[in-house]
Amino acid sequence: MHNEPILTVSNLTVDLLTAKSAVRPVDGVSYSVRQGECLAIVGESGSGKTVMNFAPLGLMPTGVTTVLSGSVKFDGHELIGRPESEIRKFRGRSIGFIFQDPMSALNPVRRIGRQIAEMAELHLGMTPSAAEARALELVKLVGISDPAARLRQYPHELSGGLRQRIVIAIALAGEPKLLIADEPTTALDVTVQAQILRLLKDLQKRLDMAMVLITHDMGVVAGAADNIVVMYAARAAERGPVDKVLVSPRHPYTKGLINAIPRREDPIGSEFRGLPGVPPTLGKPFKGCAFATRCDLAVAACSANRPPLVPTPDGSVFVACSVVNQGKAAA
Amino acid sequence: MTHAPVLKVENLQTRFKSVQRGKFVHAVDDVSIELYPGEIVGLVGESGCGKSTLGRTIVGLEKASSGRVLLDGVDLSTLSGTALRNSRRALQYVFQDPYSSLNDRQTVGEAIDEALQIDGMRSRTDRERRTKELLDQVGLADAVKDRHTRELSGGQRQRVAIARSLAVNPRVLICDEPVSALDLSIRAQVMNLFLRLQKDLGVACLFIAHDLELVRQAASRVYVMYLGKIVEHGPSQELYDHPSHPYSQMLLASVPEADPIAERQRKAPLMIGEVPSPTNPPSGCRFRTRCPLVVDECKQQVPAAYKLSPGHSAACTFAVDLHRGKRTALIQPKADAA
Amino acid sequence: MDKLNPILARLKKMPRAALITIGLFVALGTFAPWLAPQDPSAQNLLDASLGPSAAHWLGTDHLGRDTLSRLIIAANTSLVSVGSVLGIAMTIGILMGTIAGYHRGWVDDLLMRMVDVGLSIPSLIIALAVIGIVGPGYWTMVMALALAWWPMSGRISRAVAVSIMSKPHIEALRVLGASPWRIYFGHLLPGTIGAVMVYATADAGTAALAVATLSFLGLGIQPPTPEWGQMLVDALPYLESDPRQVLLPGLALTAAVIGFNTLGESIALNRIPKPLTRRMLAARRLEAAGWGKENSDA
Repeated sequence: MHNEPILTVSNLTVDLLTAKSAVRPVDGVSYSVRQGECLAIVGESGSGKTVMNFAPLGLMPTGVTTVLSGSVKFDGHELIGRPESEIRKFRGRSIGFIFQDPMSALNPVRRIGRQIAEMAELHLGMTPSAAEARALELVKLVGISDPAARLRQYPHELSGGLRQRIVIAIALAGEPKLLIADEPTTALDVTVQAQILRLLKDLQKRLDMAMVLITHDMGVVAGAADNIVVMYAARAAERGPVDKVLVSPRHPYTKGLINAIPRREDPIGSEFRGLPGVPPTLGKPFKGCAFATRCDLAVAACSANRPPLVPTPDGSVFVACSVVNQGKAAA
Repeated sequence: MTHAPVLKVENLQTRFKSVQRGKFVHAVDDVSIELYPGEIVGLVGESGCGKSTLGRTIVGLEKASSGRVLLDGVDLSTLSGTALRNSRRALQYVFQDPYSSLNDRQTVGEAIDEALQIDGMRSRTDRERRTKELLDQVGLADAVKDRHTRELSGGQRQRVAIARSLAVNPRVLICDEPVSALDLSIRAQVMNLFLRLQKDLGVACLFIAHDLELVRQAASRVYVMYLGKIVEHGPSQELYDHPSHPYSQMLLASVPEADPIAERQRKAPLMIGEVPSPTNPPSGCRFRTRCPLVVDECKQQVPAAYKLSPGHSAACTFAVDLHRGKRTALIQPKADAA
Repeated sequence: MDKLNPILARLKKMPRAALITIGLFVALGTFAPWLAPQDPSAQNLLDASLGPSAAHWLGTDHLGRDTLSRLIIAANTSLVSVGSVLGIAMTIGILMGTIAGYHRGWVDDLLMRMVDVGLSIPSLIIALAVIGIVGPGYWTMVMALALAWWPMSGRISRAVAVSIMSKPHIEALRVLGASPWRIYFGHLLPGTIGAVMVYATADAGTAALAVATLSFLGLGIQPPTPEWGQMLVDALPYLESDPRQVLLPGLALTAAVIGFNTLGESIALNRIPKPLTRRMLAARRLEAAGWGKENSDA
């Protein structure tokens, strides 16, 4: 284990300003990832899980003004307040990206080999021939059979799973220290999902990278991640090691989410367990706990003050629920 | 359970012109299924296996190239024009994407009202009363009817879409991944709505999904589809406990578990390759290119469906062995070769 | 009022100069008979070719007719003819386009080949050919231009109609057993009209120019009806002695054409998100600053 985290996000707040509205999709969130470690960020759509990872790296759609505060330290460099031209140097090089839809991440009119080699030329300053060799190496690394032939193909000639492997190869071309994977298996079939996830996990260990895995699938988290941050309405609800959070969730939202997953022992035709109500839409930050309206533990105080993330006595799991935390303190 | 199926699909085939000239993609190839009144039946398979096309062909959104769809024993291919439209109305479809399945220009009330008009309800007051009733049935407040559909959340829109399908008193609902576009925490609410509709109204449901666990809990029977063909079908419990086609075994074993300890011990299937192109499906058994049990015989002939237990059959030469657990398609994963 | 609000909000986003120009053009065109200070056809050779004065704000032409009145009435002529041309062309185009988009198959092929032929010949040449056969005249011109214009809106309508027809909400109606009439008139046609109207604005400028061009050539609007293009021809012989008479109708026409084009472009561009204006941004910043920040970790 390495002790110094490669990515430390502390108290990150992101405000997005558009012509129509101002919203806060990330509201004071902290986490860190160490080298060789995988952190899963779990949440529903609109929970801020994607913005949180992309906004500090300048990856936001045009027409949106992003206001960041807090701190994002990557490999000893503070990213917040850094001009775009400098942040660009991190993207794709020491920080690699994998997106949900592999087809849109690839250039449809260029050969696979060129697309990978281009990255190596750009980020590692390789000569074209050295970069071609590197491309071949990378394609072998991501477990593609007949690599030399694949390099000459175009993205549309490949299946979804193979395309995602190519996207991974491109992400690895800059020899990143951190890999950010946004729903890397969501667009893939269940049988292919398992392969891609195993590949990612394996590469992460082998290349000793840090990985941030953004997902909504608890199964993916269980298989790949060491730590987890559960996001709800722009805030972290619970944070801790996967083995603890998924096995004995403490926050009512995490509990509800895990409880909602259908299980083998559920009788056929039985009611599905779920959460009442609907997740809030993005807007201004909540005064109290954002989950209070859907929570069966809620008391009046919940909607008055924002619950802080309090560590469990052993300091491993952090939970942002005043009811749960008080109960623990009283016991 | 009544003994006459409400929906019977016989040897249905749907083909599309391929981009390669003169070739056809057999998206649905010789599929027969049955639905009895008031039951939920699952249809699972990977994307591109033809499960959505099968659903769309049944309701007439795609043209069948051969085969029959019988609704209450009436062959729909013998009907045409208004008669066909009126009969087929008993088959309704719930779309995956609740955002595009409603017209943004309409209010909720207008969308449901239109369905009632189509169904021939003349009186305005009747329609208003029924709209209220339908909204109540899907768990929406009456006040929602004046809202534009674009103002609603995904879950609400899906409820409106369901209410609209119910407006024409369907006997069968074909649900194409109806919850996969919805947020995790509200999927259960919509799933429970389907369970309730099935119990209260006796609507039969063909539930098309890739989420195997979801289907297992909702459906009493399940069909497994691979590359345009049904490879296995049976009662859910039986099929999930004793999957007897190598593909079903692999599919079920691919589902990751949310429990990290169980997940690490899970026997992951070793899948060979990916789904071949439906333009040039493999000869004989279509799964043979990915099957770990493949023998020469699989190449030559299409395996017959073996009856394994009441209502359970699988189209594999080794179905009986697989069913008894004498063979398995699951292989302990070797260390990944680079 | 509720229905008007989104329209007003949208108008606010348009470039102001173009909006004013077109607003003025439409207002002048609509109320021309009441706005024109004098009879545009009244000749007075004693007052011919005068400069601006209290009686004639923009002077008079070589026949002593009041230039301002003529310009205003010409706006009306232009508005009515452009309106009829586009109205007829869009009606044909939208009908053809939606029928093609609804039916697909051979109907689609046939109609779209017709559109292809129409689009492959410059619209002015089609119009000239038609006028050549039928003979010049106001309605001949309108019909000729409409005939030249419909393929464009036909092509756009068909594209819009095809995309609407493939939307699940239309498929949902088909599953509900809606009659073809209901799908066509209740959903396809309104949806297509809404989308195609946008393109009409950008086209109006070109149509105005075409009307003026034909009139300039003596094939469109006939004297004595005032029309900008025709006023240009009238004044051309006196270009050296009285350039104002050429300049004024020319400027009016240019302003109308540029106005329509700019407006059409901005409608199209408005569909793409734009970066915020500084004022809006400041307001949003203020809003967000009021939210305060809390440290999440205890």
